[in-house]
Amino acid sequence: MKRYAYYLSCINESMTKEVDRSIDLWQNDLGIEFVKLHESTCCGGSNLDYVSPKHFALVNGRNIALAEKLGLDLVVSCNTCLMTIRTAKKKLDETPELKKEVNELLKKEGLEYKGTANVRHLLWVLAEDVGFEAIRQKVRVPLKNYRIAPFYGCHILRPSMVLGKDDPLEPSTLDMMIEALGGTPLPYEHKNRCCGFHTLLVAEEESLNVAAEALEEAIEIKADFIVTPCPLCHTVLDGYQAKALRQANVNSSIPVFHLSEMVGLALGYTEKQLGIKRHIVS
Amino acid sequence: MKPFDIVIVGGGGAGLYAAMEAMKTNPALNIAVLSKVYPNRSHTSAAQGGANAALANTAKDDTVELHIFDTIKGSDYLADQDAVEILCSEAPKIIRELDNIGTPWSRLEDNTIAQRPFGGAGRPRCCYCADKTGHTILQTLYEQCLKKGVFFFNEYFALQLSVNGSRMKGLIALNIKTGKVEAFPARTVVFATGGYAKMYWNRSSNAAGNTGDGQAIAYRAGIPLKDMEFVQFHPTGLRKSGLLVTEGARGEGGYLVNAAGERFMSRYAPEKMELGPRDLVSRSIETEILQGRGFDSPAGKYVHLDLTHLGADLIMSRLPQIREMSMYFEGVDPIEEPIPVRPTAHYSMGGIDTDNFGRTVMDGVYAAGECACVSVHGANRLGGNSLLDILVFGRLAGRTAAEEARRFEPAQIGAEELKDTEAALRSYMRPSGHFERYGTLREELGQTLGMNVGIYREASKIRKGIEDLAALSERFRHIRVFDTSDIFNTNLLQVLELKNMLDLAETVASGALAREESRGSHTRTDFPVRDDEKWHKHTLATLDRNGVRLGEKPVSMGRYELQERTY
Amino acid sequence: MTGALELHTEEKRDITLRVFRFNPQVDSKPYFDDYTIQIEKGITVLRSLNYIKEHVDASVSFRAFCQAGICGSCGMRINGISKLACTTQVWDELSKCREAGIIKIEPLRNMPLIKDLIVDMDPLVEKMKQYSNWIETRMPESEIGKKEFLVSEEEFRKYDKATDCILCASCVSECTILRAHKEYVSPAVLLKSYRMNVDGRDAIHDVRLGELVKDHGVWDCTHCYRCQETCVKHIPIMEAIHGIREDAIEVRGVRDTSGAKHAEAFMEDIEKKGKLVEATLPIRTNGVAWTLQNLLPMAIKMILKRRTPPPPPLVKPAKGMKKFREMFREMTEHVRAEQKSHKK
Repeated sequence: MKRYAYYLSCINESMTKEVDRSIDLWQNDLGIEFVKLHESTCCGGSNLDYVSPKHFALVNGRNIALAEKLGLDLVVSCNTCLMTIRTAKKKLDETPELKKEVNELLKKEGLEYKGTANVRHLLWVLAEDVGFEAIRQKVRVPLKNYRIAPFYGCHILRPSMVLGKDDPLEPSTLDMMIEALGGTPLPYEHKNRCCGFHTLLVAEEESLNVAAEALEEAIEIKADFIVTPCPLCHTVLDGYQAKALRQANVNSSIPVFHLSEMVGLALGYTEKQLGIKRHIVS
Repeated sequence: MKPFDIVIVGGGGAGLYAAMEAMKTNPALNIAVLSKVYPNRSHTSAAQGGANAALANTAKDDTVELHIFDTIKGSDYLADQDAVEILCSEAPKIIRELDNIGTPWSRLEDNTIAQRPFGGAGRPRCCYCADKTGHTILQTLYEQCLKKGVFFFNEYFALQLSVNGSRMKGLIALNIKTGKVEAFPARTVVFATGGYAKMYWNRSSNAAGNTGDGQAIAYRAGIPLKDMEFVQFHPTGLRKSGLLVTEGARGEGGYLVNAAGERFMSRYAPEKMELGPRDLVSRSIETEILQGRGFDSPAGKYVHLDLTHLGADLIMSRLPQIREMSMYFEGVDPIEEPIPVRPTAHYSMGGIDTDNFGRTVMDGVYAAGECACVSVHGANRLGGNSLLDILVFGRLAGRTAAEEARRFEPAQIGAEELKDTEAALRSYMRPSGHFERYGTLREELGQTLGMNVGIYREASKIRKGIEDLAALSERFRHIRVFDTSDIFNTNLLQVLELKNMLDLAETVASGALAREESRGSHTRTDFPVRDDEKWHKHTLATLDRNGVRLGEKPVSMGRYELQERTY
Repeated sequence: MTGALELHTEEKRDITLRVFRFNPQVDSKPYFDDYTIQIEKGITVLRSLNYIKEHVDASVSFRAFCQAGICGSCGMRINGISKLACTTQVWDELSKCREAGIIKIEPLRNMPLIKDLIVDMDPLVEKMKQYSNWIETRMPESEIGKKEFLVSEEEFRKYDKATDCILCASCVSECTILRAHKEYVSPAVLLKSYRMNVDGRDAIHDVRLGELVKDHGVWDCTHCYRCQETCVKHIPIMEAIHGIREDAIEVRGVRDTSGAKHAEAFMEDIEKKGKLVEATLPIRTNGVAWTLQNLLPMAIKMILKRRTPPPPPLVKPAKGMKKFREMFREMTEHVRAEQKSHKK
């Protein structure tokens, strides 16, 4: 059983509880164990770094230090949390004075940021550590009749100097994951585009235009569903789907699954067990 | 249409500075800038190295006088000394003014504007911004023009001056976006269209559009061109594309090395070595190649510009663009291996004959920058003086035009003239009798110029060149514009540019044949020495019924006596 | 070193350029033309297009000028990504073709199309004017040209990279929000605005910032990083955008715009609970009235699905919050102290 520290993303604690719920179902099936970091805090959601760069380093230095204390890598299942924590790690690793300042404070909690733990997305762990071949062998209900539109989201790809796993303009890991689970990944122009989440509260019309384009294409190419490794993308593409499509005068809909749910389905869990019924679009 | 007070043709450094200064001189004037590209695309952006000014920030003992002397000596004593004095004494003001309005000059440790050594200069006086100096100056000027609300006509191609006898009535231009020929009645027209060195095509570092449009228009209107035979070959063009590796690379300490591994400049300029003046370094490389000491490749013979000993840090911080270019266009990373280079046509010293204030012989017509010949560069321009030239004389021409505009009565341009011009353009598209492709003619133009009117020249070769040019002009009568659309007809533009290059090439070759001496960039193997008695003068090329008519004009001398030019 | 190098010829193969065509004078809608030509390794996309124009079809229209990657004229989408044709090697594109051996060439997006690969740059220029993308000098008129500003290396570095921008508009073409709304300021103009705002020689920082925080300004960016990822000059554009936001919060305060309030809410929540209180985020960003009007219908649907975020009292704080809060506040002291010494 390979162990990882698991970061609790705010959104998965509230709006998209189904993500962590489904991971809990199948983690042992794939020979991995996620140790939840209940002491971890909000990463700042791609906002804190310009509101206060120092707090940003402190908060996320601490999040990583919690994993390092356990001697484990930190696994994240929200794209923006991933990008944010990795950005902080990069800054801490490149700026010794900042690291020192953060560590002075972390002492209070008996923590130290060393820079030893890697910060990785759930998708990467599945692809690299478990491996597609092993996953293929565990599949009980292959998704063989499904045409699936892979929506990567931005912050698992860009900025590539922080993320660096997939080609930011031509990503493939999620496509390969779909294949491993027996499904058909569709060529999908919007796969590396933006869902609009981060302007949802600031410029809603623009945001929903962005989402509508991605949804429309998936509908046009006759995908059975969209899958995304990011709960924020899911919130827009599922939660705001009706509003977005109405704004774009499209009279149709398309289900949107989390990566963790898609894995769960292929491993034989039911929609109910996985929390898929919680989605707005069914 | 209401006549303009000033129409500036060209939106590079000279044109934009002229516009800015004209607005400052008289804000009430109605000024337009016409450019065939968006101004921020202009070729000024490609000038990497810098601009000379005796600020004395780096070398405390630098003076304007030293700058004047270096420039005159560099010109092989063909520059007009009063003009050079203006150039060099205005230099510090211009550089500071650019600093004041936002040009991001690189800085010294004391926070003043940084200066580095450049070829042919006795002191490090070249002000720079990494290796993007021209780009940042152009951006600054464009920003300031937007701020001042300069009226831009972007993507307009200038066709001809409208002239009634000796009276200039304005400009006729093609609106590229619509294909319509439009009139710009104007009291004054300022040409700032850049150089003509693209006529050497593949052996030229210039942008595709550096086709001497302003010079050709002026020439066809009867305005004389000066010293057209002087075309500077930059020593270090990339082997495959002709694109330029700035002199900054040698200023920072790069070596020129032949196939035997020798720093061969020790033979030609033992003291200055790689920092000798451009014409000398170009000839040195060409000699090494001709005498079999170069490298060979399918793309031609070349030598090495070696930066590897400078180290990754310096190359990445001071010469990042050079590194990028070598990688993009030559596939070579200069941190790891030497850059393959050979001389490339780079700058035209000749141009529209003007006085020290940008005036031409025709009332109301002015010129500035590389398009003009004042002359401050004479037979050879020093590195770092071209940006300076466009800034100083662009500003002066703008000011002069603004001061003089209201002296000229406004005129109108008749609808008939527009119709005729438009019909002439359409005639290129008629299939009957039109079959030549512009690409073929342009290729042959570049080849014959490179071979016969290139770095080394002699009478028989130049005559061959002149014959070739005549044949090409004859074939041009049959040229065909295959794209018949009105909107953004770039095929038509290419043909019009080719016509401009063909007309000017004749003046270059004629001047080269007449000038029986070697001076600066003009090297006659049959007349290998400078002949001050016969040729210490400018040539003037005027168009008459039989083609080029050559005249001459004395050089204004001053404090500096003729001397042999050695480094 | 050895003597003359061996002569060798480069690899050649037939490659198809699938070029977007549209001439509004005659075409009712755009189409693609395929040009299959033999191309040698080491040739750029622009040189291939030039070849087609000269030898195959003279009507193919595109802009090109310096051919050296500095003028920014030849921005176009090559295999779907906006870049310069003159610095793009054909061979590098072969692995990115959706159909083997076919390179797709299209005009930049988010700007009005003129013809074939040519788009209208005027809207971008207008935005540069709207956001005062120039230096209004602090130097008194009478002193201009007489003395230079003293600029430290540290200050120079703040805007050095941003001045690499050649306005090729690749970022404009790739921008997510501009695609959703054409009034949006756009990445290039944000970058230029940032470059002006960190320049000590400039006198209109506050005016520019005032414009930037309005609707369609800096807060509308959705952090998708496409601009930065496709920048042909590798400029970290998002850092500039974040720089403007940081500046806006510092100078104009958080109550200024919804974007600033939204950003600041994260700070508050982390300090209080260690977790984001999502339920009240809309209210804190846009106020109660906006939230009721815009989110109520959705909220009802979400409640039915038990999908609503918990109300504030029910957001479970992260474990060990007491120590965390101490650290957090101490960091706040650090920042305050620094700001003080900076202002001195």
